[in-house]
Amino acid sequence: MINMVAVNEIHADDLFKEFKESSITEFFRKNRAHLGYSGKLRSLTTVIHEIVTNSLDACEEAGILPEIYVRIEALGKEHYKIKCVDNGPGIPLKHISSVFGKMLAGTKFHRNVQLRGQQGIGVAGVTLFSQTTTGKPITVKTSTGKGKVNELDLMIDITKNTADILRNEEYSEYWRGTEIDAEFKGVRFTLSERGPFEYLRRTAIANPHVKITFIDPEGRKTVFDRSNQKVPTPPIPVKAHPKGLEVDELINMAKANKARKVSSFLGVAFSRMSNARIKEIQEHVSFDLNKNPRKLTWAECEEIINAIDKIKFLAPPSEGLMPIGEKQIREAVLNIVDPEFEATLTRPTKVHSGGVPFQIEVAIAFGGNAGRNIGEGTKFELMRFANKAPLLFDAGGCAITRSASSVDWKRYGIRDFENAPMTLFVNVISTHIPYTSAGKQSISEDQNLLKEIRFALMEVGRKFQIYYSRLRKAEERELKKQILRKYSAAFAAALAELANRDEEKIKKELYVIIEEKISGMDAEEENGEELDAIPQEEIMKTESE
Amino acid sequence: MAREKIVSKLTNLGLNITDDIMLHEPPRMHLPQRNIRNITFNEKENLLELGSKMSTRSFLNVAHSRKFMQTILIASKCKELVAKDKTASIRELYYQLKHTIEGTKENTFDDQSESDPLIVDLETSLGVLREELHLKADDKGTLIGQITLEDSGDFIDCSKLGRSGLSVPSIVEHYKFHEVNADYILVIETGAMFDRLVEEKYHLKNNCIMVSTKGQATRGCRRLVHRLNQELNLPAIMFTDGDPWGYYIYSVMKAGSMALAHESRRLGTPQIQLVGMTMTDIDAYGLEKVTETLKEVDKKRINELLQYPWFQKKEWKEELALMAEKGVRIEQQALASKSLEFVAEEYLPEKIAKKQMLP
Repeated sequence: MINMVAVNEIHADDLFKEFKESSITEFFRKNRAHLGYSGKLRSLTTVIHEIVTNSLDACEEAGILPEIYVRIEALGKEHYKIKCVDNGPGIPLKHISSVFGKMLAGTKFHRNVQLRGQQGIGVAGVTLFSQTTTGKPITVKTSTGKGKVNELDLMIDITKNTADILRNEEYSEYWRGTEIDAEFKGVRFTLSERGPFEYLRRTAIANPHVKITFIDPEGRKTVFDRSNQKVPTPPIPVKAHPKGLEVDELINMAKANKARKVSSFLGVAFSRMSNARIKEIQEHVSFDLNKNPRKLTWAECEEIINAIDKIKFLAPPSEGLMPIGEKQIREAVLNIVDPEFEATLTRPTKVHSGGVPFQIEVAIAFGGNAGRNIGEGTKFELMRFANKAPLLFDAGGCAITRSASSVDWKRYGIRDFENAPMTLFVNVISTHIPYTSAGKQSISEDQNLLKEIRFALMEVGRKFQIYYSRLRKAEERELKKQILRKYSAAFAAALAELANRDEEKIKKELYVIIEEKISGMDAEEENGEELDAIPQEEIMKTESE
Repeated sequence: MAREKIVSKLTNLGLNITDDIMLHEPPRMHLPQRNIRNITFNEKENLLELGSKMSTRSFLNVAHSRKFMQTILIASKCKELVAKDKTASIRELYYQLKHTIEGTKENTFDDQSESDPLIVDLETSLGVLREELHLKADDKGTLIGQITLEDSGDFIDCSKLGRSGLSVPSIVEHYKFHEVNADYILVIETGAMFDRLVEEKYHLKNNCIMVSTKGQATRGCRRLVHRLNQELNLPAIMFTDGDPWGYYIYSVMKAGSMALAHESRRLGTPQIQLVGMTMTDIDAYGLEKVTETLKEVDKKRINELLQYPWFQKKEWKEELALMAEKGVRIEQQALASKSLEFVAEEYLPEKIAKKQMLP
């Protein structure tokens, strides 16, 4: 049994080695689309995304308030040069080649921690994309701020999957950060909803502590200033929560674990798994939890999963999660969208299938610059985020899109949802976002996720409704006043004639009444006696004068 | 009512509303509801009566503000007319009051159909008649026949008016009746049928007074037929098209209208009967080929009539049911399919002699 497993493991390792050594370009070519490098616009956005994400993650881990500068320069038809500069911690020389020159080198993948970049393809993909479209290396300038700057030109040696450093200059300068210069062909810049500009705008909204300066190919400069001065606390790795665990995951974890007993394996591998809970599990299963975890059978694992389903656990700890926070979202939305109304909400931590904690943050913005401007009008805009990184592509198959359209917005007073001047902001936070593909632009439609997003949207929807019905009432009242004022002069004049009274005095008092009564007119008057009008049709039928 | 009384009623209306305003109350006025929910049918007297339900019109209710303003404009103008002892037609009143509201592109009145019902509102809320407000409607309807009328000292022999007849004015209160040599009054819906009967000298040959209403009867026509019927004890007979619209015109002549239910007692002629056209005429006179198919609106109207309390007589329910069943209507002038003279020489004399009439 043990041998068989060992044989299997070696076999998988072999495959991976094979793949690394011989076909890294093949892998990239075949998986371009999954990695986000498909389509001229999308490829450019992906480049920006990878670099900016790296910078933000690094700054956060180092406790630095990020300041990012992005410039896109047109060099020719579908040929651009990109410069990205951050004020991050810099990259020590010995790590530069693995960050920029090694595919699948990331360490994040196996840590149960919430970071923007998750799968370690990241910025090395940028290097590879640059060199496959232009044949040129990228230039990296970085310093950890100790008076020494390294400037390198590097490519990826595709046979070895390592960085090929073509130039390395070291010079003295007191500066800290990382600067990347790279050229790309076969890409195109537009100001569309899926372009770099929108990507950076949304990044600024989801990261209120970030300052981004962007210069587009026409030389136009946009500064998204920070609305919050505090660097978010970096997230910490957490253990998986038992709820939502699946059998194959459990069996794999058990086999990889070094504990001697199933009970101690459970206690070590999962969060919220106290001795009391383990005892409860023991009561539900037919075998002894003192057995060797590596000898657990599929059926036994199923029993454990069924037991977990029946038992109540504490909610997963949220230290691993790093929500933006309601206050911060509000500030960012006010800062960048400048709406007439906004409501934000951070829901409590929940678990999606896979035992992974997640949290939903939503905001609704209405009026002002909310919504997407399209020529003559405004359309509804849905901003999707995963761990604060904007998702611009593949909206169709995404859990966020699905949840947003499943909400009956009419209930909240929004009749024409598609054409409302409204922006919905949804951020899914998790140590492991269940993306639909390695392109990381779409979140899979997990039932728990769908439900949470929907509830969150409905909750801000209700807040919106209260505001909106007040607004509409106020508008109606203003309209009423206008109508009444319109008829007042003629009415007062005729009434003065009829009653032999002073016209000016009647008019003056009438204006006072209109102001008083209509302003004070709320629910009471609306529900009050509808005055009985004579149906005009009834008169038409019977009357002839 | 004396002119001073009318002026003071109008002034009081204005003062009540002004008081509301000075007390910072919403300006309101109260009027009797003039819809079917506030109408009862007095079966014994065969008259529509206005109930006691009131409605309130408030200036602050935007659905009513415009109407409220218009009502006061009318009241104010009427006060001026009465004070100056002038009489205006309701169309003249409309033009006198129509102007652009200052600072807008909106008119005080867009159409006479806006001012006409408000005049009735004013009548009912003040309990005065239109003529007391010094208003009159346009003349509509014609009279011809064996009677001499005295109008402001002039004598009019209505049998000697050629083919034209006498135009029935809106106010007939001042008429005095002389030399009546008629056996009954024949009220005719269409002008064309009236002309046919005049040419056939029907009124002379049959000793009657003919009145044409030309569609729905005006108050003048209704008041005149009422007076002829009541004061001279002349039976009244009506002749309309055989369709729900004609029958409704007949019912207004007989029992009064919903809009003017407060005046039924002055305007209705409960004794009047309908000689035709009836559904049974179609078979009796072989008119199957000259009927018209009922349209959807006609069918809808039949069902409405069947709901009215004053159409609940057995004969009428049968007549309307028969019309619905046949799915046709028949016009007065369809009788011309027999011959031009047929209506005057056979149809009417025969049916009237045999008293083949609907109640």
